[in-house]
Amino acid sequence: MKIGQLIFLSVLIISPALAHDPVFGLGPHVLFKGGVEIAPQISTEKEQDERGTELGVELTYGITGDWAAGVELPWVDKNGFNNNSGPGDLSVFSKYRFWRRDSLGVQQSASILGKLKFDTSGGGLPPLGSGSTAGLLGLAYGYESRKWYRWAGVRYRVNGENNRGFRQGNKLLLDLVGGIRLKMTAYDEPDTVWLVELNGEYTDRSVMDGNRLANSGGTEWFVSPGIFWTLRNFAVKAGVQIAVASDLNGDQPETDYRAKLVLEWHL
Amino acid sequence: MNRMIINTMLILLSMSVSMLAWATGTHYEIRVDGLACPYCAYGIEKKLTAIDGVKNLKVDLENGLVSVDVSDGVVLTEADMKQLFEDAGFTYRSMTTSHPDRDQDKTQ
Repeated sequence: MKIGQLIFLSVLIISPALAHDPVFGLGPHVLFKGGVEIAPQISTEKEQDERGTELGVELTYGITGDWAAGVELPWVDKNGFNNNSGPGDLSVFSKYRFWRRDSLGVQQSASILGKLKFDTSGGGLPPLGSGSTAGLLGLAYGYESRKWYRWAGVRYRVNGENNRGFRQGNKLLLDLVGGIRLKMTAYDEPDTVWLVELNGEYTDRSVMDGNRLANSGGTEWFVSPGIFWTLRNFAVKAGVQIAVASDLNGDQPETDYRAKLVLEWHL
Repeated sequence: MNRMIINTMLILLSMSVSMLAWATGTHYEIRVDGLACPYCAYGIEKKLTAIDGVKNLKVDLENGLVSVDVSDGVVLTEADMKQLFEDAGFTYRSMTTSHPDRDQDKTQ
């Protein structure tokens, strides 16, 4: 089995995207107290001859106006040399907005995110999950006005070792995002925000039986155009990550693209 | 006789109009900071319309105004609104009330 098969798809649906958060990056949004967010989503990734698709449902609850928690339930479909599909790794997460500054038509805020991914995926090859637990910590800042949006986020993911002695390299993710609302809309009208994200990923070398693997880890940068369309309590978020720079260690396939579509209801 | 019937009808009509005006209760205009997008403001709609007697919610994003009509006997206090908007993720600033039937304004 190729190491790539273990790593492939591990970055999809890597963090919950609440409300007006970026499509791929991390934003500071939480959910109103007592609110429920239901967000079915589909992500796909292509690396040379391999293509993976992950369907997921994210359920989030607003514990307070500044604190939300939820669960991600993925379903994975992998196609390539071998095909496999089934439940992916379940994750739980919590996000706390520790700072908020409001003025007329403007909200600035900052949040921290904690996420735990468990080894709950189905069997077969290629594997549908990493086979290990993983933890992710994130910090995000956001500025939102009637016209302009900007976000900055950083996440660090620590991966555990699976029962074959393999540990995927830890990952650092950086996001810088800008957005614009070209047409001002009223509360009950459809609303569109256009986004451009710059997503950077630095991955440590993976480890097998204590040995660092030469053909693993490295850096990739993506430019990701996206759209955020909403109508009252319903949102559609979509984006494509296009690799623009890559410095991977050894011999590894570079990511061609990733795409993500999220439907979101606030109830 | 006809004059008496017309007068009675006019009195009844004026009473009906006055009762309709009374039934509109109080109109509240609430100034809120942080209102940048319509989707995020849904929490405000959900929380305000969950209060018995609150209706005709309008959100003016450009001016940071949320307005509602409430039935007679229902009162939205400043303390309640501060908490409600905090729970919705925004900052309450001030509130103006008016009684359409009495044409009387009051700022809290």
